[in-house]
This record gives sequence, C-alpha cells and structure tokens, in this order.
Amino acid sequence: MTTLEHEARGEGTVVDRRRRARAGAWSRLDLHGSPYLFVAPFFVLFAAFGLFPLGYTVVVSLHKWDLTGDAGLIGFENYSTLLADPDFWNALLNTLGLLVLATVPQLLGALILAALLNRPIRALLFFRLGVLIPVVTSVAAVAIVFGQLYGRDTGLVNGLLHLFSVGPVDWQASRGGSWVAVASMVNWRWTGYNALIYLAAMQSISRDLYEAAQIDGAGPVRQFRSITVPLIRPALIFTVVMSTIGGMQLFTEPLLFGQGDVSGGSLRQFQTIAMYMFEQSFQNFDYGYGSAVAVVIFLLTVIAGVVNAVVGRMVRGGTQ
Amino acid sequence: MSTRWFPGRPGLLKISVAALAVAGLIAGCGGGDKDGASSEGGTITLTVKTFSQFGYEDLYTQYEASHPGIKIKQENIAQLGDYTPKLQQWLTAGSGAGDVVALEEGILVKLMAKPDQFVNLLDYDAGSLKSNFLDWKWNQALTTDGKKLIGLGTDVGAQGMCYRTDLFAKAGLPTERDKVGALWPSWDDYLATGKKLTAANTGASFYDSSGALYQNILMQQGDTTYFDRDNKLIVDSNPGVRKAWDQTVAMIDAGLSGKLTTWSPQWNAGFKKGTFATIPCPAWMLGIIQDQAGPGNSGQWDVARVPGEGAVRGGSFLAVPTQSKHPKEAAELAKFLTSPDGQTAAFKAKNNFPSSPAAIDSAAVSGAVNKYFNNAPVGKIFGTSAKSLKPVYLGPDNQVVGDAIGDALTAIEQGKLKPGEAWDKALSDAKRAAGK
Amino acid sequence: MRRRTPSGHGNSLVYLTLVVSLVLSVFPLYWLFVVATRSNDVVGEFPPPLLPGGNLMDNLQRLFGPEAAEAHFARGLLNSAIASVCVTVSVVFFSSLAGFAFAKLRFRGRNVLLLSVLATMMVPVQMGIVPLYMVMVKLGWQNHLQAVIVPFLVSAFGVFLMRQYAERAVPDELIEAARLDGCTTFGLFLRVVSPALRPGAAVLGLFTFMGTWNEFLWPLAVLEADNPTVQFALSQLATQYYTDYTLMFAGTLVAIVPLLVVFVLFGRQLISGIMDGAVRS
Repeated sequence: MTTLEHEARGEGTVVDRRRRARAGAWSRLDLHGSPYLFVAPFFVLFAAFGLFPLGYTVVVSLHKWDLTGDAGLIGFENYSTLLADPDFWNALLNTLGLLVLATVPQLLGALILAALLNRPIRALLFFRLGVLIPVVTSVAAVAIVFGQLYGRDTGLVNGLLHLFSVGPVDWQASRGGSWVAVASMVNWRWTGYNALIYLAAMQSISRDLYEAAQIDGAGPVRQFRSITVPLIRPALIFTVVMSTIGGMQLFTEPLLFGQGDVSGGSLRQFQTIAMYMFEQSFQNFDYGYGSAVAVVIFLLTVIAGVVNAVVGRMVRGGTQ
Repeated sequence: MSTRWFPGRPGLLKISVAALAVAGLIAGCGGGDKDGASSEGGTITLTVKTFSQFGYEDLYTQYEASHPGIKIKQENIAQLGDYTPKLQQWLTAGSGAGDVVALEEGILVKLMAKPDQFVNLLDYDAGSLKSNFLDWKWNQALTTDGKKLIGLGTDVGAQGMCYRTDLFAKAGLPTERDKVGALWPSWDDYLATGKKLTAANTGASFYDSSGALYQNILMQQGDTTYFDRDNKLIVDSNPGVRKAWDQTVAMIDAGLSGKLTTWSPQWNAGFKKGTFATIPCPAWMLGIIQDQAGPGNSGQWDVARVPGEGAVRGGSFLAVPTQSKHPKEAAELAKFLTSPDGQTAAFKAKNNFPSSPAAIDSAAVSGAVNKYFNNAPVGKIFGTSAKSLKPVYLGPDNQVVGDAIGDALTAIEQGKLKPGEAWDKALSDAKRAAGK
Repeated sequence: MRRRTPSGHGNSLVYLTLVVSLVLSVFPLYWLFVVATRSNDVVGEFPPPLLPGGNLMDNLQRLFGPEAAEAHFARGLLNSAIASVCVTVSVVFFSSLAGFAFAKLRFRGRNVLLLSVLATMMVPVQMGIVPLYMVMVKLGWQNHLQAVIVPFLVSAFGVFLMRQYAERAVPDELIEAARLDGCTTFGLFLRVVSPALRPGAAVLGLFTFMGTWNEFLWPLAVLEADNPTVQFALSQLATQYYTDYTLMFAGTLVAIVPLLVVFVLFGRQLISGIMDGAVRS
C-alpha cells in the first residue's frame, strides 16, 4: 500500500521506474487477462454443473423416454406432437396472459414504492423490512392465506365484493377469475423484491442532482421522471428481463392456488407451460415429452427476451 | 486526493477474504455423514424407501433381532407428491432407490407396462405367498403372462361412508350406522337419501365433491374400467364407465355436491363445521376427520357401509429395484413386512388397512373399534368392503385417463360445461393422453 | 440547504401509501403468527381469528420434540444456515467481480459471454434436477450437504444484477483515476469498485441468502429426510393426508427468524450506501 501510494504520487526513484517498466508488461497482461479471470468462476462452475443437465435434457427430448427408461431415439417426434397439442397451446396462452397481468402492475408498484422508500422518512428500516416480507414467507403459508382470501363461500375477497353487490365469484373455476387471483399472488410476493432492487439503484444517484433540480424549481414528480427513472435504467432493464424469465417459468403460485394440482384447474384454465412440463415429466412420467416442453420453454424465453430488447430500444428511440 | 478512493472501511475486503476461505471450507461445510458402503464387517444395511406412514418401525427392530447381520435404514418422504419425482429420478439415474422401495398403486400400475427395473419376486420364492393377499391385490403386481411379480401388497384403501349424525338427525333420517347403511344398498338409494337430506334445509350439502364418489362407483362396475387386458383404450365402449359417469352426473344435477376442492382449507374446515353430511372415507381418513373435526365433535361423525358391493381406493406395494446390491436379503425383508403379521402390525401402528385376508380376519384388525366414531367397528366395516370388491384391471395409463374424467366432472360442478360437452371433452382428452 | 422533509400534505400521502403497502405485505405473516399461537381448529374458520392465542410454546415444543422427530427440524436449520452462508458469501464475491468486469472492463467476447450468462437463466429449473442428480451420483454427493452448496456458488442472476448495478454506480472517471495511480485491476476492484457496489451487493446478498434458505426442489431431490434443509424439514411436518397447520406454521415462523436477522444486517448496508463519499462522482 505504501509503495503504491509513493508511486501514485510520482515520487519514484530510478529503481522504481525500472520496476514500473517491468510492470508495464504485467499491467498489459493485467489489463487484458483480468476480465477473463473475473468472469471465469461463473463459467467454470456452470461448465461443471450446468452444461451436462442442459445437454442431457436436449438429448432426452429426442427420445421416447418414460419411467422405465429410454425406449429409443425418435428424432423430433416429441416436438411435432407438442405443436399439435392443444393443452400446450392453452398453457402457453395462460403463461403469456399471466405474464402481462403479473409483470406490469408489479414493476410499476415496485417503482412507486422504491421512490417513496428513497425519501427521508421516519422508521425507514421498518418500512423497508415490511415490504420485503412477502419474499420471506414460506410457500405453505402463502397457499393457506390466499386460500382464505379467494375461497368461494367464505373468502374475504368475495366478502368484500358482496358489499358492492358483486359475486360471489368462483375464483378457481373461470379463466379470468383464476388469472386475477394468481396474478395477485405473484404481484404480492414479488413487488417488494423489485422495489428493493430499484431502491439500491436509486441510492447510487447523487443527491446533488436533486438539489440542483430543486433549485431549478422541479417538483418531486418531475424529479422522479427526469432524474430517477433515466438514472436507474440498468436496474429497470434488469427487472424487466428477470420478470420476463420468471413469468415464462411461472410455476409455484398457480400450483399453490390450485391446491397442488399441476393440471391447473378443471379445464386447465390456469396451467402454465412450466406446470405442463412438470405434469408430463413427473406425473405422467413422460420424461422425453417433458424434456421437449422444457427445450421449447427455453426457446420461447429467448424469444420473449429478444422482443423485450427490441421494444426497449424502440421506446428509448422514441423518447430521445 | 488519491486517498479519497481508498476508504477506511474495507467491508467487502473482509468478505472477499472470507469468500476465498470458503473455497477451502467447502469440505467442512458438508455435514452429511451417510455411510455409503452398505455392507461392512459382515453386516448388510438394507435401505427401505417409503412415503407417508407405513408404520414399520417396530417391525424393523424385530427383524434386526431375528436376523443378525442385517441392519435396516428407512428413508421416508412425508408426501407422495414429493416422493414420486424422487422415485423417477432414482430409476432414471440408476441409483438411490435403495433395496426395498414402496410403490403407490398408480405408479405400480404404470410400471407394469415395462417392469424391468425391478427384480422378479417369483425368483425369490414369493410364489407360495399368493394366498396371503387378496386376489386382485396380488394380480395387480403380476405381469399379464403371470411370469413376473414386481411387488407385494402392503395396504389397501378400503372404504366406508363417513357421515354426520347430527345432520342426519336434523333431516329426520336414522343415525344408527346399520340403519344408515340400510338406507343405501345401491347408489340410486344413496341419491334418494341425498335428496331427502337436501330437502330438509340443514345448510349442508350431501357430500363433499364428486371425484371420489365417481371413483367408487366405477370400481364396482365390472373387471375392467378404461383399458382392457390388452391395454386397449375402451373408455368410450365400456358401459360401466358410462354408467358410473351418468350416476355421478345425476347426483350433481340433484344438487348434492358441496363442490369443494379436496385438501383445500375449506374442505378441511368442512369436517368441523359440518359443511357436508357424507364423504367416502378410506381407513386412513378416520384419523384426519378426527384431527380436523376436533375433540368437540366426538360422536358427531360415524361410519357406515358404502353403497354397492365394496369399495377400495388406492393402496401400496413393496418392490425390490434391480439396482439393489442385496436383492435376496431385500426380497426376504419385503416378504416379512407384507406378511399377515407384518400387515397387522402396520395397521396397529398407523391404521394402514391390510391387503391380506388373514390379517383382515385377525382379532387385532377385525375387532378394531374407533372411539371417536361412536365406537364404530371399523375393522369389520372396512374388512367387508375390501373383501367384497371384485378384482378390476386398470392398465398403465389408468391415472391420466382418470384425471381427464375427474376434471370433466369438476367442470360440470363449476357450471363451466354441460354434462354432454364434458363427456365429449373427457373422451377426447383421454384418447389423446393414452395415445401420447 | 436541502429540505429534509417534504411538505406536510405530500408527507401524509407518502405515509398513507407506505402504511397500506405495509399492511398488505405483513398481514399474511401476521396471520401465520396468529395460527402458530393457536390450535388446529382455527384453520378455515370464518371470519379468521385475528388475535394470537396462547399455544405458541406448546407448538414450539412439539416442533422440536419427539412428535416431529422424523422431520429433523433442528438439523434442517443448521444445514440451511451453513449452506446459505457459504452460498451467499461466494455468490456476492464472484458476482461483484464478474458484474464489474462485464460493466466496466473491455475485453473481446464480452457481449457474447454476457448473453450466454443470461441464456443460462432461461432454462427451466425443474428439468435440470434429474441430470444434476446423476452428476451428484458420480461425485458420490447424494445426501451430502455440499450437493446443495457447490453447484450454487455462482449465479447468473447475481452476475447480471451486479453488472447492471455497476454500470451506473461505478463512474468511469473513478476507474481511470485509479488506473493512473497504478492500481492493478484486482486492486482497483477491491479498493475503488467494491465500496461503490456495496448497496447492490447488499441486495444481492439478501436475495441469495433468502433464495438458498427457501430452496426446496433440489434439496428434496438430492438429500434424504435424516439430513434435510429447513424447507425440506418443513415439508416433512405434514403427512400425506393430514396437514397439522399449527405445527407447520410454528415451523415456518422459526424458519423466518434468521431471515429477518439477515435482513437487518444487510439492510444497514443498503442505507449507508448513499452516505459513502466514495460513490460521489
């Protein structure tokens, strides 16, 4: 540390300078090699534990493969069956519908919450802790609590609706009702989570900017739109990408909503593609077919990601 | 100037040092001290894989005492839904299934199509034990050519009809269990009783939901259901299926169903509050009803015979996977656990109702009464139900097809489909599922 | 001087929104607590009871007593604590390193590598279980705790999160200045970058700890009931057909306490982040 500081102050002797010349080669190596070294741990561990499962799933998807094992290579037959499978398309529709219903309010709510929590208010830690609590709560508790809320006969939500002479709604039975209920579970569980990501990003914005804006007479809303939102863009992109991936793989909440029924209701009205994959692989033991669904989920997620990126770029182009 | 970039608090530095230390500590992180070798110093350790509660703990101690050199380790998973993916993973990876593995009926039926992951118990002298089991239980685990036996029966889900005495009294119906049983020799009579109870405006529905009821009716309709013995799908041509369906739909139409999702909080609470007056109940459900209804409702629930001739839903088997290194010893243990004495012990421990006629007739089972249910002679009721059921062949894709029909019935209950539409949908779903 | 508090009108609106969100968020947890302090007959009751009862001690005793011995709950708590700490420390460190590299260092193939990190997240998790189990069989790690630790020492989520965070939080001038001062890249990371990353790292640490603590499918697949993680142990409290809600909720309550402690620890980091002079540009 001391030598470093000496060097930094430019107080080097001849020896120091020579050392620095040698260090030149080193520093070039450091400059070009270090980045690879820094990202290497991820790729090494992924190669060790992630690559085989990935390849294995692809290989299995090309086989007829049930509980009793491999029954032969069948090429793309699982995929062609899948494309003609109405249950798959139904699950895809549910997944996309829930993706929209769950992601948009979730991210907007998170943004507002984060903005509020970024203000100097009393009992800050308490409030921050509070909004994150849904992430902590165990899935069993979520299932029971939401079972209470969305009960057909004695649920609190139907009780409330009754005050406005609406209902009672059989939340499990209809597509619309079950979508709303499942989306509310997702929103409830993950809004605080995203709010915290935004909050961390907002913390890195210098207060000076806000002070300057205030001097210029900008109100809180204006400050939020012109300073906060643009400056946390990387965090926004992050949450949109993660919510899209999470939405395409939505599994736990609809499963809990249906009391653990992977078929997602009597008419599969809230079965997502991840549930369909699980049903095929682990309930019907059609492991080959389930793997084909998995590969398709992966491809669809990639497509959704690309669409995201394109739309994001268009929006950015539009505002500039 | 430059010192500004070197803050005094190296919080992350400490963390990173710790992180580097972690790499070395990972071995120390590993806490699992599983004895990998299954035989050392002449002792053989047999691993038994089970789910829920098989009630074998005392039997293990007994077996270890009489078989020096054998140690038994049970690895249990509480819920079948968690156990099933694990089982598939063990079979696919060729490791982890242990020496004796429990197979639930639905899984066993599926496995019968290609049972090469399990040893043939006939090779280990199990053939002589046939008379120890109800015929249909034995045949379920026997390949159709009769040459390979992959499992020995443990319990059966013998059923009775549980009912609320207070609701029956309110509706002016008899409450004493023999008289209640006499109300419904057939399912038509059950329907008629239901109409009477509903007409009395007790605020309760007649039964909880239609799925279990349909299943009971179906199993009484002859020796096949969705598949014939060549595993050809006959769901649309088998009159028994249609009859069970029509009878169930008639009950839904009569407004007898409470339309409650099984295992939902509302369903659980229904036992206490008396939301429904009857429910088909396997032996193990008595414990649940007692726990859910609570001590305050002791004597409010009772159990009578089911309509029709006997009813059984589910049950399990023990098998020996070919990946076991000690198949001979494992087969001996499976035989012991499923022997009449073993089954009687399991009934005493956890109320798992035996699949062995000798065990059903033993004093411990046939004399069993349940205090909570007005001292109902449950051993007799469930025993009669199990023994009077005629064998039914299910077929490997039984469960998928059954799910399709169950879902269609639920859709009728929810008012989402008319019965005719639901039937068409069930058939096309069934054909697709079975053809995949 | 900056105004420390917003105007009175806006202020009450802020508090109102926050309080409403707080109530919505906390109610299920509160209700969990209520059930944990009562006996089983309150479940499914309408209206649900809103005040705690007096059975908490009883339920906790049952949780750690012989009745629930087969769930190995204490062992599960210990295992999860070890696994969560190991995984969190490692993920925070390696993600900060990689995230910084992706955000601020120039190297050939950077974008392709970053996209491949993203792509690994798009594989549905449930399908990897069987092949990953096969890897564990090869390594002989079945029912060993390292099976739930080692494969998770890095995370794509973490790399991506830290990459996005570093992009804004670490000003380029800061890096250039430090380079001119002769810092090596790793020295730069330790002395200049890591303090600036602290709030992001705190969030990542928090999420990683919670994620590992709440993980269920994989521990269930690779461990056995006698050596479980906490969520695995919780699932063992219910039998196939009967859920003892009070026991389970008492267990859930106990399982949440460590998370709250961790939250308070990391939460301090999150708040102090802005005060750090190092972050100012």
